[in-house]
Amino acid sequence: MVEIVFLAPLMTGAIAFFLPKEAGRLLLVLTGIAHLLLSVILWKLRPEPFFPDYFAITPEGLLSLIVISLLFFLISIYTTGYLEKADIRSEHIFTGSMLLFLSTMTMVTLSDHIMVMWIAIEATTLASAPLIYTHRSKASLEATWKYVLVCSVGIAMALLGSVLITLAMDVGKVDAPLSFSGLTGVAKELDPVWLKAAFVFILVGYGTKMGLTPMHTWLPDAHSEAPSPASALLSGVLLNCAYLGIFKTHKIMYAAGLGDFSGTILMIFGIMSVLAAATFILRQAEYKRLLAYSSIENMGIIAFGTGIGGMGVYGAILCLIHHSLIKSSLFLTSGNILLNYGSHLIENTGSLVRRMPRTFVAFFGGFVGISGFPPFGIFLGELFIITAAFRAGHYAWAGIFILSLCAVFAGFANHVMKISFADDAAGETVRMDEKASMFWPQYVLLLTSLLLCFWIPDTLYQAIFNAMSAIGGGF
Amino acid sequence: MIHPVDTVLSLVLLSVLFSFGSGQLPGLIKVLAFQGVVVSVVPLFIGHDPSAGGIAFTLATMMIRGIIIPLCIYLAIKKVAIRREVEPIIGFHASVLAGLLLIVAATFVSRKLNVPSVSGNTLLLPTSITLLVAGMFLLMARRNAIAMVLGYVMMENGIYLVGTTFSARAHHIVEFGILLDVLAGVMIMAVILQNIKQTFDDVDTARLRTLKE
Repeated sequence: MVEIVFLAPLMTGAIAFFLPKEAGRLLLVLTGIAHLLLSVILWKLRPEPFFPDYFAITPEGLLSLIVISLLFFLISIYTTGYLEKADIRSEHIFTGSMLLFLSTMTMVTLSDHIMVMWIAIEATTLASAPLIYTHRSKASLEATWKYVLVCSVGIAMALLGSVLITLAMDVGKVDAPLSFSGLTGVAKELDPVWLKAAFVFILVGYGTKMGLTPMHTWLPDAHSEAPSPASALLSGVLLNCAYLGIFKTHKIMYAAGLGDFSGTILMIFGIMSVLAAATFILRQAEYKRLLAYSSIENMGIIAFGTGIGGMGVYGAILCLIHHSLIKSSLFLTSGNILLNYGSHLIENTGSLVRRMPRTFVAFFGGFVGISGFPPFGIFLGELFIITAAFRAGHYAWAGIFILSLCAVFAGFANHVMKISFADDAAGETVRMDEKASMFWPQYVLLLTSLLLCFWIPDTLYQAIFNAMSAIGGGF
Repeated sequence: MIHPVDTVLSLVLLSVLFSFGSGQLPGLIKVLAFQGVVVSVVPLFIGHDPSAGGIAFTLATMMIRGIIIPLCIYLAIKKVAIRREVEPIIGFHASVLAGLLLIVAATFVSRKLNVPSVSGNTLLLPTSITLLVAGMFLLMARRNAIAMVLGYVMMENGIYLVGTTFSARAHHIVEFGILLDVLAGVMIMAVILQNIKQTFDDVDTARLRTLKE
């Protein structure tokens, strides 16, 4: 039963490669609806998988799955409007790859076997590569090349890490299934030296995919060159999938009593990402790259929070959910801006508030949310993380963290003000036409995020709590 | 007595040195095909009793690693600048010296590592480490995009050698999934290579410099 959730989009994706334009768009939305329904059913019923060796329903997996489903559904609606306006030559490849991408990411959230997890994450790279090359320009070719090569090599490190886990089992003479849930139970018997080595390799591997500095080089290129719906998926969902791999390995480490070791490494990578993002955001010239660096910053925040433990983990998961919702809405909005202004550069835009007021609302709302203003969830998440850092006595870390956040905010605000309120670069003041399907999805995403700040359903809260208690999170 | 597997593995080590010193792409691809075949056959001779399924799986792996992947890269560059040099960042002589040092270091390190008994095959672990690091070396020390793909495949071969020989845990179906991912990855890279050649009229990655910051 569980496997149907990723097999369905796999089938429709394969079909979409042979469909004409209109049918492909319809199939995209229909798959989005079906996938959302299936995910909700999965959440409610928690059925048994057909292959319990390879797949399992875990709280952290379910959380990611429901976010993926909701995002994909809204993005698919936006995509129908986007495809009518954008000039994309091989649309069937685009829709087909979108669906395959959805399928592989769903598989990541449900896989329990360590190697199957790796297979699924590598498959997300392969399925999303054609998406980045959609525009067939020199820049997009370069971005695709970097993406495929850097991510494949990075993820090869994670494969090596997974192999080292089997070594840790051999040396410790452990006989258990090679799955995350199976290993968490016997983690204490694993050989600690090999387990530590395995964690480092897996963190470097999946960290490449998650966009942690210094392995993030592919991320700004890929996000800025991909068409906006694809960027929204890459940033809102793909990064979470990679994080899931790290999270589950961290869980084994915590169960083995090595949580301090893995936590410290996570904190180092996290703070480096936030710092690097801050320096690049301050002098960024393109708005899609700006959003991409903001994703790196948020991934850094999440890694940092996970590393601290305690309340920090709760903050990290809050940031994870809200970042997905808000950042994907921002990327969709950037698609509107790109279609109407026809340029990636911030200096060629301007006067968004007058020229596209509806898009402006989504853009500014997203900015307020992502830069950590109350009452949005990112604010709460960051607050939890900073409190946890102080409680644990990491004063210096917390200081650097807060300063970088301020720098990111200053840079981000500066650019957003220019895009929104400065005079239009071409001197135009005419209002541009905006399609309903191209701003409503963003509104829904932002409202969902807002709603989740005031009211978290009990079942969702339970899932978050179960996920975080496995790595030592709590209040 | 020297185990026959060790003899073959020493040839793999030599092939690494050859690939470091070679400037011609066809030669590099042949080296890779040879390594692919060896890497997929070796697990059959170590430890486990060969079963029918195991042999079938070995043959399939050999087909993919030894023939299809190299062929894929070869076809992708056939019309492209195939007789060209690989545009080294680090010169060939220095590369060979680095390769020698790498093999020595790998042998030294693998003696120190605490790994479960490997049925007397002294060269297994050094060869795996050498392949892994050699692949990374090719990725960093060559500007030619094709040589970079070859480096990636070499790295994958090294990981595969560590994985299959040291643990019999993973089921064939899972290993096959990994293999398919690698194959699909190389195919996508081959397609991108062709496009890079058509768009930039070269496969020198120094030209891929438009995206910054």
